[in-house]
Amino acid sequence: MRIPKAAGLAWTSDIIGAGIFAWGAASALEARLEGTSGMATGAALMLLGGLLRLASLYGAQVLGFDEGRLLARSRRATLFPHLLSLAGPAAPALGATATLAIDHVAAEQAKVARFDPVRKSATMAPILVVLVVALQSRVAALILFLTLIPFVIGMILAGGAARQAADRQMAAITALSALYVDRIRHLPIIRHFAAEDRIARQAGGAAEDVAERTIAVLRAAFLSSAVLEFFAALSVALVAVYCGFSLLGLLPFNPPEQLDYRAAFFVLVMAPEFYLPMRRLAAAYHEKQLGEAAEKALAQVPEPVSRPAASDHVSLQSVAIVWPGHRIGPISFELGARGLVCITGPTGSGKTSLLAAIAGQVAPSEGALETLPAEAIAWAGQVPLLLPTTLDDNLRLGRPDAGEDEVAAAMRAVGLDALVARRDNGLATAIDHHGAWLSGGERRRLGLARALIADRPLLLADEPTADLDAASADQIIALLKAEAQRRAVIVATHDERLAALADQVIAL
Amino acid sequence: MISVRFPLPLPRRVKSRIALGFAAALAAGIGGLVLLALSGWFLTAAALAGASGAAAIAAFNYLIPAAAIRGLAIVRTAARYGERLWSHEAALHALAGLRSTLFARLAHADGRSAPDLSGGDASARLIGDIAALEDLVVRRPGIPAAIGTMLVGIGAVALAGWLAALLLLAVLALLLAALAILPTRLSAAPAAEAAAATAALRRMLVDYAAARSEIITYGLADRVTGLLAEQADRLDSAQRQLARIEAASSGLLILGSALAAALTLMASTASAPLTALAMLAATACIEAVAAIARSSAREAAVAEGTERLRVLLALPAPQDAPSVAATASWPLGLGQATFAAGSRIALTGPSGSGKTRVIEALAGLRAPAHLLSLDGKALAMLPEAELRRQIALAPQEPMLIAGTVADNLRLARPGIDAAAMEQALRTAQLWDRITRMPQGLDTMLGEDGGILSGGERKRLSLARALLAERPWLLLDEPTEGLDAATEASLVAALGAWLDATGTGLLIASHRAAPLALAAVVVPVEAIPAA
Repeated sequence: MRIPKAAGLAWTSDIIGAGIFAWGAASALEARLEGTSGMATGAALMLLGGLLRLASLYGAQVLGFDEGRLLARSRRATLFPHLLSLAGPAAPALGATATLAIDHVAAEQAKVARFDPVRKSATMAPILVVLVVALQSRVAALILFLTLIPFVIGMILAGGAARQAADRQMAAITALSALYVDRIRHLPIIRHFAAEDRIARQAGGAAEDVAERTIAVLRAAFLSSAVLEFFAALSVALVAVYCGFSLLGLLPFNPPEQLDYRAAFFVLVMAPEFYLPMRRLAAAYHEKQLGEAAEKALAQVPEPVSRPAASDHVSLQSVAIVWPGHRIGPISFELGARGLVCITGPTGSGKTSLLAAIAGQVAPSEGALETLPAEAIAWAGQVPLLLPTTLDDNLRLGRPDAGEDEVAAAMRAVGLDALVARRDNGLATAIDHHGAWLSGGERRRLGLARALIADRPLLLADEPTADLDAASADQIIALLKAEAQRRAVIVATHDERLAALADQVIAL
Repeated sequence: MISVRFPLPLPRRVKSRIALGFAAALAAGIGGLVLLALSGWFLTAAALAGASGAAAIAAFNYLIPAAAIRGLAIVRTAARYGERLWSHEAALHALAGLRSTLFARLAHADGRSAPDLSGGDASARLIGDIAALEDLVVRRPGIPAAIGTMLVGIGAVALAGWLAALLLLAVLALLLAALAILPTRLSAAPAAEAAAATAALRRMLVDYAAARSEIITYGLADRVTGLLAEQADRLDSAQRQLARIEAASSGLLILGSALAAALTLMASTASAPLTALAMLAATACIEAVAAIARSSAREAAVAEGTERLRVLLALPAPQDAPSVAATASWPLGLGQATFAAGSRIALTGPSGSGKTRVIEALAGLRAPAHLLSLDGKALAMLPEAELRRQIALAPQEPMLIAGTVADNLRLARPGIDAAAMEQALRTAQLWDRITRMPQGLDTMLGEDGGILSGGERKRLSLARALLAERPWLLLDEPTEGLDAATEASLVAALGAWLDATGTGLLIASHRAAPLALAAVVVPVEAIPAA
C-alpha cells in the first residue's frame, strides 16, 4: 500500500514562516535603528510568520500521524490473520504475539509518523534556507554550507557507533525480560532451595548491566547530537561574527558583497533554521531505531506451513519437531478411522506441538507425516476460543448449521447441560471477551462440546480432563473412550486414568 | 507539572547525577540564551558603529563579544551533552535499582501468601512499567534549570524596559497555563481510552493466540481479525486526538515565541542594540517553556506505570535471610503417625487423591490442606525457612530454570563444586548424558530444560534435590517416562545414596520399582484434612 508523503512537505513549509518572521524582525529593528516608521509592519510580519509556523507544525504532525495510521492499518490487516494462523514451537509465544501485533506495529507507526516526514524535510529544508540566505548574503550562505561538511563526517562516525551500541542494547533488554519471566515463574522452587538472595543478586546484576549498556548507547547517541549542536552553534556564531565585522567594515578580506543591517539581522535569525531540520531528525532518531528493529522482528515472523497432502488416516514415521534449544520425537505411530491414542509427558515436552503437527499446523523437521485434511479435523484446546457473541454461536463455530438437538446432546455429553439450564437465556446467553462466568474446566468442556458438534472424523483434544473434579473427569474419560469407537481420537494428557484406556500411549 | 513522585527514595549516586544534570542544564540554557542575545546586540551595535564613522569603529570593542560568542557556542554544546548524559545516567541507575529492589521483595515474599503474578505479568511490571518511570528522573534536572533560564531571560528583557519584561512575563504565564495544564486536561480522556483499547487488544490477542489451533482448524481467522480491528480502530482514534493535542502544543509554543519577540520589540524603551538583545532573549526564554510542557505531556504514562507497580511496592522489604544450614533432623508427622528422621515412606493413593498436595505443602510450595507436622509442630505454624532446613523436593513438574545444567544444580545451595555435581548426576543416572553434551555442565538448556527429554528433566531436578543435603528428600513420580532398565539402576543408586547419607525419604509414585525404596506405606486417604 502506498502511503502519501505530505507531512514532509508540511515540515519543509515551516521555513516559509521562519523566513517571514526573520524578515519582519530585521525590518522592525532596522526601523528602530534608523528611527524610521515600519516597526509595526515588522512586528505584524513577525506574528504572521509565527502563525504560519503554527499551521505548518500542526499540519505536519497531524498529517504524519495519518500516514502512520494508514501504515498500521494495512499492517494489521495482514499481520493479525498471519499471527493467528501459526501454531507449534515456531509460532511466537502468547506474550510475543501481542508484542508483535501491538508494540512492534506501534513502533513502525511511530517511525512513519515522526521520523520519515522529518527525514524528507531534512534534505529539502536546509537547501531552502541556504537559498533564502543567499539572496541576502552569499558569504553567510557559504559559511552555513561549509559547516555542513565536518558535520556530516562527525555524524557518520558517531552514528555508526550508535547503531552498533543500539543493537547490543536491544539484545540486552530482550535477554533481561526473558530472565525476569523465567526466574519469576520459578520463584516457588527458588524459594524452596532458599536461593532468593542469589537469584535476586543475579536479577539485580542483570538490571545494572542493562543500565550500563544503555548508558554506553546513550553516550554514543548524545555524542552525535553534540556534534550536531556544536556545528549548529558554530554556524550561528560564525555568521554573527562575519555580519558584525562586515557592518564594521573590519573584515580581513575583501567581501564580495555589501551587507546592510536588515540583511545581516535577517541572516542571523535564519542561521539556526539551517540546522533545525537536522535537530528534529536527531530527536526522532530513537523512533527510527525502534521502528527498524520492529520491522526486522515482523519480517522474521515465520510463514504459515503448507499442509501435508490429505490422507485418509494418521501416520507418523520417525516424526521429530526440532527448533533451537528444543526437540520433540522421533515418534512413530499409526491410527486408522477409530481408536484412542494418548500423548503423555511433562509440561513443556511438546504434547501440544505434536498435536498441532498431527492437525497439519506444524511442519515436522524430520520424518514422514500423513494426516487428514483440515476440514476433517476437530480441535478441543486447553484454552478454547470464546468470541463475544452468544453461547450458541460459540458452540457452532465448527459447524454453524448443526441442529439444536446436536448442540443439546453435546452439552449433555460434556456435562454442561446443567450450566445452560441455570442461565436465564440458556444457549442465547451472551459471552464477553473473557468468558467471565465460565470456569477453566467449563471453558475446556465447552471447547470439547464444540469439537463434538463439528462432528469430524478426527478429534484432537489437548488436556481435556485438566481443571476438572474427579466425577467430571470420569465423565469426559468415558465420553472420549466412547467417541473412539466411532472416530479417531488423539489426546494429549497428564491423566493416567485416561492413558490407561488408550489403544496406544506415546510418551514424550 | 510533575506531581507523580518516584516510588522509592533515590540513592545518593542518583541524586548526585541529578545535581550535576541540573548544573549542566542551567549552563546550557543560559549559555544558549546569552549566545543568541549577545549575537543580536553585537550585530546591531556593530551596525550603529559602522554607520557612525571611523572614530566609532575604532572605539567599538569587538574582540570581547566576538570571542564570547564563539566561547558560548562551545560551552552550550558541552553543557547540553553533560545534561543529557547525567540525567539519563541518574534515571537508568534509579530504574535498575528499583527493578532490583522489587525483584528482591517479590523473591523474598512468603511463597504461600505472595501475590500470584504470572511470570509474564510480573516481568511486564518490572521491565515495562518501570521503564515508563524513566521520564520522571530524566526530566527532573531540566525543570528547575528551565525556570532558572527563564529568570535570566526575563532579566535580559528587562534591559529593554519594565513594560517589555512585564509583557514577557504575561506571555510566559499564558503559555505555561496553555501548555502545562490544558494538554493534561484535554488528553486525560483520550489517553485513558487509548490505554483501555490497548489493554483490551492485548488481552484479546493473548486469548485468541492461545486458541490459534482452534482458529486454524475451524477457519475463523477472518472473523477474529475483524474483532481485533474494531479495537485497533478505537485505539487509533484516541491516539489521533492525542497527536492533535501534541501538535497544537508545539505550534502554540512557536507562535508564543513570535508573540513574545514582537511585544518586546514594540514595548522596548532602550537603544536599538539592547532592543535586539531583549528580543532574541525573549525567544530563547519561550524555548525553555518546552522542557516543562514536555514533562506534563508524559505525566499520564508515568502515573499509570506507578499505579501498576503498586502490588510490588506493597511487599515488605526482605529481612536478612535466615540460615538454612541443616540443624537437627526433625521427625515428620503424617496425620497421627510420626516418622523418625531417616525413615523411608511411600505415599500412595489413586490419581487426584492429594499426594502431590501433601508433598508440595511439606516443601512450603502451597498452604497445607492435610494434617501434617514437623518436630511435632503443625505445618501451618512453621515459617517457610524452617521447612526449608528440613526438606528438599524433586517435584512432579521438574521446574528447571533457563540457564546451564550447572546453574540449575547450583540453585540447591551455595558453594556446590563440579565434583559434587558429578556425584549427584551419577546417582540420578544423568552423568553420561551430560558428558555427551558438547559443553557438559555448561550446556544451555533453554526454557524449562528445553533440550532434555521429559525423563531427563526429572532426573536433573532429582540431582538438584540430592545436592541440597537436607534431612528429608521428597520425590514426586521420580521415574515417570523412564525405561525399565534406567529405572532399575536409578532406584539402586538412590537406595545406596540414602543408605550412605541417612536421609529420610517420602516418595509418591504409581510405579512399583521406586516404591520398593520405602519401608512404610502411608495411604494418603489416611491423612486427615487440616
